[in-house]
Amino acid sequence: MSSTDTGATGNGGNAVGERRGRLIVGIDVGGTFTDVVALDREQQALVAVKVPSQPRDPAGAFLEGLRRAVALAGRRPDDVERVVHGTTIGTNAVLEHKGATLGILTTAGFEDILPMGRMKRAEMYDLNADPEEPLFLAPRRRIIGIPERVDAHGTVLRALDEEAVLAAVGRLRDEHGVEAIAVCYLFSFLCPEHEERTAALIHGRWPDLPVSLSSAVDPRFREYERLVVTAFDAYLRPAVSSYLRSLEERLAGHGFRCPFQIMQSHGGISASRLAVERPVGTMLSGPAAGVVAGAAAGRDAGFRDLVTLDMGGTSFDVAMVRDGRIETSTEGRIDKYPLRVPMVDVHTIGAGGGSIAFLDAAGGLKVGPESAGAQPGPACYGKGGTEPTVTDAGLALGYLNPARYAGGGFELYPELAREAIVRRIAGPLGMDVLQAAAGIHDIVNTQMAEAVRLVSVRRGYDLRGIALVAMGGAGPVHAGRLAALLGARAVVVPPRPGVGSAYGLLMADIRHEQVRPYPRPMARASAAEVAAAFAAIDAHCAEAMRVEQVPLERVTVHRYAEMRYIGQSYELSVPLPDAPIDAAALTALRRRFDEVHDRYYGHHSDESEVELVSLRGVHAYTLPAPVSRPADASAAGPASAGTRDAHFAGHGHHAVPVYDRFALPPGATVPGPAILDQDDTTTVVYPGQVARVHTSGSVIIEPAPAHGR
Amino acid sequence: MRLTHEGAVPAAARTVDPITLEVVNQRLQSIADEMETSLCRSAFSSIVKEAMDASSALFDRGGNTLAQAAALPGHLGMMIPAVRRILEAFPSQAMRPGDVYAFNEVYEGGTHLPDITVVVPVFWDGEVVALSVTMAHHQDVGGAAPGSTPPNVTEIFAEGLRLPPVRLLVDGQPNRDVWEILRLNTRVPETLLGDLRAQLAAGNIGRRRLEELFGECPAPTMLAAFDELQDYAERLTRLAVEGIPDGDYAFEDFLDHDGVERDRPLRIRATVSVRGSRLRVDFAGTDAQAKGPINSVPASTMSAVYYVVRALAGSRVPNNQGCYRCVEIDAPEGTLVNPLPPAPVGLRSYTIKRIVDVLLGALAQALPDRIPAASHGQISLMLVGGRRRDTNKLFVGFLGVPFSGGGGARPGKDGIDVVETDINNCTSYPIEACEMESPVQFDRLQLWTDSGGAGRHRGGLGYVAVCRWTGGPVVFSHRRDRHNFRPWGLYGGQAAPLCRTVVARRDGRVEELPSKILTHLDEGDTLQFFTTGGGGYGDPLTRDPDRVLADVLDGRVSMEAARREYGVVLDPSGSRVDSAATQALRAHPRDGAGPA
Repeated sequence: MSSTDTGATGNGGNAVGERRGRLIVGIDVGGTFTDVVALDREQQALVAVKVPSQPRDPAGAFLEGLRRAVALAGRRPDDVERVVHGTTIGTNAVLEHKGATLGILTTAGFEDILPMGRMKRAEMYDLNADPEEPLFLAPRRRIIGIPERVDAHGTVLRALDEEAVLAAVGRLRDEHGVEAIAVCYLFSFLCPEHEERTAALIHGRWPDLPVSLSSAVDPRFREYERLVVTAFDAYLRPAVSSYLRSLEERLAGHGFRCPFQIMQSHGGISASRLAVERPVGTMLSGPAAGVVAGAAAGRDAGFRDLVTLDMGGTSFDVAMVRDGRIETSTEGRIDKYPLRVPMVDVHTIGAGGGSIAFLDAAGGLKVGPESAGAQPGPACYGKGGTEPTVTDAGLALGYLNPARYAGGGFELYPELAREAIVRRIAGPLGMDVLQAAAGIHDIVNTQMAEAVRLVSVRRGYDLRGIALVAMGGAGPVHAGRLAALLGARAVVVPPRPGVGSAYGLLMADIRHEQVRPYPRPMARASAAEVAAAFAAIDAHCAEAMRVEQVPLERVTVHRYAEMRYIGQSYELSVPLPDAPIDAAALTALRRRFDEVHDRYYGHHSDESEVELVSLRGVHAYTLPAPVSRPADASAAGPASAGTRDAHFAGHGHHAVPVYDRFALPPGATVPGPAILDQDDTTTVVYPGQVARVHTSGSVIIEPAPAHGR
Repeated sequence: MRLTHEGAVPAAARTVDPITLEVVNQRLQSIADEMETSLCRSAFSSIVKEAMDASSALFDRGGNTLAQAAALPGHLGMMIPAVRRILEAFPSQAMRPGDVYAFNEVYEGGTHLPDITVVVPVFWDGEVVALSVTMAHHQDVGGAAPGSTPPNVTEIFAEGLRLPPVRLLVDGQPNRDVWEILRLNTRVPETLLGDLRAQLAAGNIGRRRLEELFGECPAPTMLAAFDELQDYAERLTRLAVEGIPDGDYAFEDFLDHDGVERDRPLRIRATVSVRGSRLRVDFAGTDAQAKGPINSVPASTMSAVYYVVRALAGSRVPNNQGCYRCVEIDAPEGTLVNPLPPAPVGLRSYTIKRIVDVLLGALAQALPDRIPAASHGQISLMLVGGRRRDTNKLFVGFLGVPFSGGGGARPGKDGIDVVETDINNCTSYPIEACEMESPVQFDRLQLWTDSGGAGRHRGGLGYVAVCRWTGGPVVFSHRRDRHNFRPWGLYGGQAAPLCRTVVARRDGRVEELPSKILTHLDEGDTLQFFTTGGGGYGDPLTRDPDRVLADVLDGRVSMEAARREYGVVLDPSGSRVDSAATQALRAHPRDGAGPA
């Protein structure tokens, strides 16, 4: 098989992705396992290594996995072209409350922006709810107000009290031992001088104390959200930078002198030394990489509009891809906290293979969100679980292969699955076990389909035109049914749905972006000012791309304006025309805003006045496509692995043909009902659907139109 | 008068299997959620977008709720009387595809005039099979003051436009007569009509999605599922009520006044009677209806009761009519909770909130381990209106101080600082948004030290806000409560302090405002708001001294209050508990200690 490297070089031979390296390595450190995939570009061979994660020393598993993958590929460290890393270091620090001891400076009189939050509560009927603000970031005693004030026009009303800054930080250091400082003054997004001066004062006195400024992290209005993301940035700074710096050193120590890149929450990658400057940007590194893999698989299979589905043991993640581009959001959340950094817009619900089916007190059949997790796990794991789960139902229905599950690591016990379903569901309801198992799948499928629908309608999608990309161990079991329920066009099952995140690391673009405030009614917007703002954004991003050593002339630039009707409080991101920014461009922008508003909300208003809120520029460099087809596809073997008795609604219980997925050649078609087995997942082809092996290595399932429930 | 709306219990035995039932249940809830998302995000007024003062629901053709996406718990069940009134005027057999209905009249099923209910009928095989319904609080529907909830009027006529059941669309086309009447009766026609269009769009989403559902499932099965889902919700709710010990539990609390007769406190009294799986609320003993706009019509009173029922039953119970079948409400006519026309009702939210306090206070006697102490119990909803100096246009806006104060302490934990409680659930206005949109400048917005009621578990804190009006003269509609009656504590927990509002006029005069008054602001006037916290739970002398110390270090409790309320003595630096002195003080608590 020939290399897909374009071979083109822009500015010399050693730019990223264009070096004469041989091996690209993606390393995704997850909670349980560290997945490593290494692509040998000369031989088009892919090796995958799984090593247990080491929560106390994530770098240990990282290096162990890297060394093993390189050895397995028969290569040496200096053959490695680049290492791309997806990390949960930031996420874990937040979820476990193990970030820096943080001090926060605010405008005097407004010290309680954090504990006051936005008042609204997610659980409206819970009399015993907990506060929804990330209060663990800093107790009130570590939040100090500094005399200074800027007004809503960006005019300084009260000069910065520099002595107060030094006194406050001195106190935070001496009395509270703070390890990082976040600064969030009112209206600093219009006038960053006070924050910048504050940082300079702190650096002058305490050169090693990390400082995050709200005017740099997220220069947009709404002080609570801006403060939270800035505080998270500072909170993560020591942990993320020491982790990445030590990895850099250890890589070099082991002879890996190649570029080292980090997956960002927005789905692009960045040089490690740029990533440490904005630690909060790495927070959703892992899920983002999975979506990148899904988007790439969908694109390679010929689909531009996609919904990626990742169904694991406890959760179901949904993300959208429009016209080949992953939908990102700047109003995302982590846990229940607002996190205003650009991130892949992943929506999660509590539905997975481990979701427990139960009858509630009034006899209603429910599935999840409680999960059996990995311990004890579904009943069929034989590890002591007694509650029937979605996986148990899948096994009882005959979809899963009891002898070859989740990498063949262990066996499943169908009898235990059936027993649990009979005891908890089928018996009490007077159904047979297959009816009950099918019911459990119907219910969880409806939950997932409705989640997909809500997420997609909020984004203005018409599901009839899209393809679903099925990932996660359980995704390909259910995706065919979801496609039918949603009326989707097709399902794409990538070659390795179970290790999507590590895979996605190999496929991501290098990406840098910046947002600048521009609060202005459209009627008073100046094309010259907008152009100047974008010129400044471009300069900033170009500087980052220079650090990345990519050929600048091949960087693509996308420009967006965040806009709303005057009086609205949500903004929409509207792409600028790809043309010089002049009066005509602004007129076109206004029209596009109406179009986008119409798409999202189903109506627009020509007469209503529109205002700009901020401007965003995104620079991306697409690395040469690393792979056209996974090496596994060449594995030989009999196409059919026999049959399995399986149950499908309306079709009863029959022997259904089972295929070894990687034994099917490109172009092969398999009519449903059928089952495709592979180590990391099972693909179910439902009656009325046809599966086809695409040359990209993905399996494409085309569903019949939705019928019945 | 009986306010209970019992839907007919379907005679048919169970005809829908539990799998189909759960699938339909999820689909209905998802449809309501989708309508609500669309409505809140596409509306124009900040009251819908930021405050999410809007709800979406699906009803069966008999006027029973099938699913409701209540962005605010205070909207629970609130649309039921309105939908039934519309069905009375336009029976489902007479409804025509393409017609859309609207309504807001308070004495025929509405709640207060800004809330307009819009009903889109859903047809299948030429028959109405369901109703897609939205309700939104509109920014202004005329009346004596901007915002249509003037605090000082004495008749419903001063509160704005009263809309009987009308057709908003006829045969898919706007009913011009009605739209013109609406346009002329609001200070902000663009906003009102924009929000109505958002309601229409959301209603159409519900209609389309229901039509899809009927396309997938035979209509008789669907209609049977509608009935069974209500039965199912009824069973779950009854189980929750059975968890309350049988008995009669009475409680009372007060509203400051009605905005008109400011020296007359208003008593709300309720007896909650639990017998097995039935819960009855009797408002006997509640004061007669007020002159001012604090009266709560039946639709509003019911929502308070429904909130409490749902808080006990849990949010997993499908949000449909079945939840309310085991609940009975007796509200004597001519009282605050069931007034006779033409009493004004614009500020009924305060009354609903106090009804919730009273019901929770009653239930605390039955369920001491579940019910929190009183929360701040008011809504600081302050509107300004006038003519903009820059555009010369009429405008209505919020003065963006947080609506809520602190939450009540719970049996097992402290209350939450500045948080929406019970029937309300709005997002606060960012200071930056407020200053960019209105001529106002904030000097302070901070938690108010010592505003959480002392207790073994402390009440959440309220806040202090100080701001200056920098624009021209405007009408200022000041609406709050708890200026005269404190949020109570439970089981030895202390009450939280009173709210206060002080205006320093630019000529130097200082006025202490009563909780409800229509006044004015002019350039340079400075406002100070003290908004209370929640009551405490349990004897403060039993609070862990280290937690009292943490509260002092974090400025939630002053050193003086630590000693006075909690019997905790700190060393002079204020950074350590003086254990010996604390033990001594707690062994001999000062007079006046103990439950409120």
